[in-house]
Amino acid sequence: MILSILRLEGAVSLITHLAIGFAATMAAVVVIERVVYGLQLIRRRRIESRYAPVIARALHGDSGARETLVHCPSRHNLPVARLLIEPLIDDRDPHRIAMTRTIAQDMAVLELADRYLRSPFWWRRALALRALGLLQTRERTGAIIGALDDANAGVRSAALDALADLHDPASVSAIVMRLHDSSLPVGRRAAALAAFGAACEPIVLDVAQVDPEHLVNYARALIFCGTARSRAALHGWTRDRRPEVRAAAFEALAHVGLDHEGARLAIDALARDDVPVRAMAAQALRGWNDDSEAVAELARHLDDEWAVAVRAARSLQSMGKAGAVALGAFASRGDLPGLLARQMLWRADAALP
Amino acid sequence: MTAFTALLAGFSLLVTAYFLLWNTLQIAMSPYAAVFLWRHKQRHTRRARALIADLASPPLVSIIMPALNEELTIVDSVRALLALEYEARELVVVNDGSSDGTLDLLRSTFGLLPAPFAYVQPLKTARVRGVYRSVSDPGLIVVDKENGGCKSDAANAGINAASGVAVLVIDADTVLEPDALSRAILPFLEDATTVAVGGNVAIINGCRVRDGRIVEVVLPSNWLARFQIVEYMRAFLLFRLACAAWNAVPIISGAFGLFRREAVIAVGGYDTTAIGEDMDLTLRLQRHFRARGEPARIAFDPNPLGWTQVPDDFASLRSQRCRWRRGLLQVLWRQRAMIGNARYGVIGIATLPYIAFFDGLGPLLEVAGYVVTLGAVWLGLLNWEFFDLMILVSVLFGAAVTLVAVFLSDLATRRYMNGRDLVLLVAAAIVESFGYRQINSWWGCVGTVQAMTGKGGWGSMKRRAFQT
Repeated sequence: MILSILRLEGAVSLITHLAIGFAATMAAVVVIERVVYGLQLIRRRRIESRYAPVIARALHGDSGARETLVHCPSRHNLPVARLLIEPLIDDRDPHRIAMTRTIAQDMAVLELADRYLRSPFWWRRALALRALGLLQTRERTGAIIGALDDANAGVRSAALDALADLHDPASVSAIVMRLHDSSLPVGRRAAALAAFGAACEPIVLDVAQVDPEHLVNYARALIFCGTARSRAALHGWTRDRRPEVRAAAFEALAHVGLDHEGARLAIDALARDDVPVRAMAAQALRGWNDDSEAVAELARHLDDEWAVAVRAARSLQSMGKAGAVALGAFASRGDLPGLLARQMLWRADAALP
Repeated sequence: MTAFTALLAGFSLLVTAYFLLWNTLQIAMSPYAAVFLWRHKQRHTRRARALIADLASPPLVSIIMPALNEELTIVDSVRALLALEYEARELVVVNDGSSDGTLDLLRSTFGLLPAPFAYVQPLKTARVRGVYRSVSDPGLIVVDKENGGCKSDAANAGINAASGVAVLVIDADTVLEPDALSRAILPFLEDATTVAVGGNVAIINGCRVRDGRIVEVVLPSNWLARFQIVEYMRAFLLFRLACAAWNAVPIISGAFGLFRREAVIAVGGYDTTAIGEDMDLTLRLQRHFRARGEPARIAFDPNPLGWTQVPDDFASLRSQRCRWRRGLLQVLWRQRAMIGNARYGVIGIATLPYIAFFDGLGPLLEVAGYVVTLGAVWLGLLNWEFFDLMILVSVLFGAAVTLVAVFLSDLATRRYMNGRDLVLLVAAAIVESFGYRQINSWWGCVGTVQAMTGKGGWGSMKRRAFQT
């Protein structure tokens, strides 16, 4: 009756057919997908069991094994290349990389990577970049740097990974120049910088001179790659008008280590600067021993803002006997400085870092 | 009688339209979910995950584990968490006033010493009685506190004591994948605006567990658990993936949620008065950042990061579902200003209206539909042909949508891969339409009444020992 009132017979019939069609299609899709996956798994295992021992022999210099890889059927080329290259993600032994690169060259994997680099599909470009980076193909450094400007974020990330793996000094400036490029993943920018370590330092310092606007990024970069050579510049940056630059400069000084001038600047900053800067100045003083003025200044800040107080306490903990004496003076108090002091003395006793 | 018949016809039309709209939206979500999943797989390659090893100092993650009377499982859980494949982690176990031997067991097993532990307490909690640190593993901190009446209070105490930039709040019985942290931290390293990462939570019932690790994934023999597997697949791999594609995730499961600590503190931590504390926190985060116009991303990882036990008896399931219902209604009421509000982006104009309409009204409409159908049968007004077709269509669409979720699950996780499992999953998707779905809707109505009358407690769930 309801149906006849609304005259929905046609619609109901259509919906029923749609439901049947949809359910049948999805059932077919799932079954086909599982069958295809199963077949792929079998093929992958077969290729793995056939070529893994050959690859191991080829990497140990067996020319016969190498010939087998070079002349493997073209349909096996890509899975074999994957078997060959993927272990390099974890194993960065230079000898293994060099051997793998030579074999990949003979297998024409690099030509394939070049083709993939020009592919309209971003995942192929990303795959090629990852392979070129892992193989440390330095002839392709320019192409990889160029990919940092790719329209696709996945390709740009892969290019950064590739540059970190490539370890080509020629790419350092490209990495440093993009330190403040927020379109690149922040973690990968840090990882790429960390991959080069101190090798980045001169370029960071040079670029910082001509680009004072992004000084905070360069100061942060020196946290990863700075050495004693950066101290003079960092001292200057602790007087910058921007508190974030001053804080980053002290954080970098905490990494590269203080000298007397740096310690003086940190003590001064503790006495009069903003909270984030005071916090980093307190951190920079960690491990700065035998300086009664530093100890006294840090002790004064045990009842400062939490961010400053906790760093001051940790620095005092690191200052040996003088720091312990200063902490001991607070240890009987019932307030936060007292609790912080007791915690640091306890950590020192338990030999916790 | 004519007016009554017209009313009946109108109601039938409403239910049919509702049902069609729900199925259409489920189908519409699937391509978004599939594309999101595919992109995620392309981007989170093995090389991308190796990024953690490239960093000189990966972000410190504090794992917060509230524990209340967990003496049977606590040692295994702590050992498994300390063995996670992520070095930069600390484990904060919050003993939430346990009356059993939880604390003593932790103390004797891990060599805990009372530690003076100074930290700011931005989040108010029940009184902390003491803090302990492990001599054998400096990464283990135990906060002993008075019971605050809810998990949220214990989680807040853990967040206070945490020193990590990110906090992972888990249930004491959650089993994490060994690479869960290194996967979940990636969005934070990719995008500085990431404030939280939710993970796909899988069901542990039936699986074999050894030393706090899943060693074999097995479909449970209990049908209630099977129905929930199908439900979880649809929820995590259709709705949440589609939401993640639009940066509009409305809920991060309590079983696995990694949050930027500062962001959680900025919104006041877990609300101890919230019944659905996980959805409440997620929506408050969404609201906080969007209201200020600050870019914020809540990411979702489709890989199974954590495994949790689901109720496999009616009493526990009823109590859980009624609580979920009360929690849902409470959070929708509290965040009503976001619903339909374009200021909050996709979550305001699409996700929350969807939840309010389908999850909020759904059970009521469904139960009303059953009552009206019974009334129509009694009055002899039911068109049996139409009724049969509607049942058929409902079952077929339900099975098809489940198959979409199974397909996505296959791509994401490769769980339950043998033919028998597939048949059982499809069978569960069909059988759930005959009883399970109706009883769930009924519990939804009970939960609604409880929410309106302020009744209903937290309830309890019978935990089963893991199969080894």
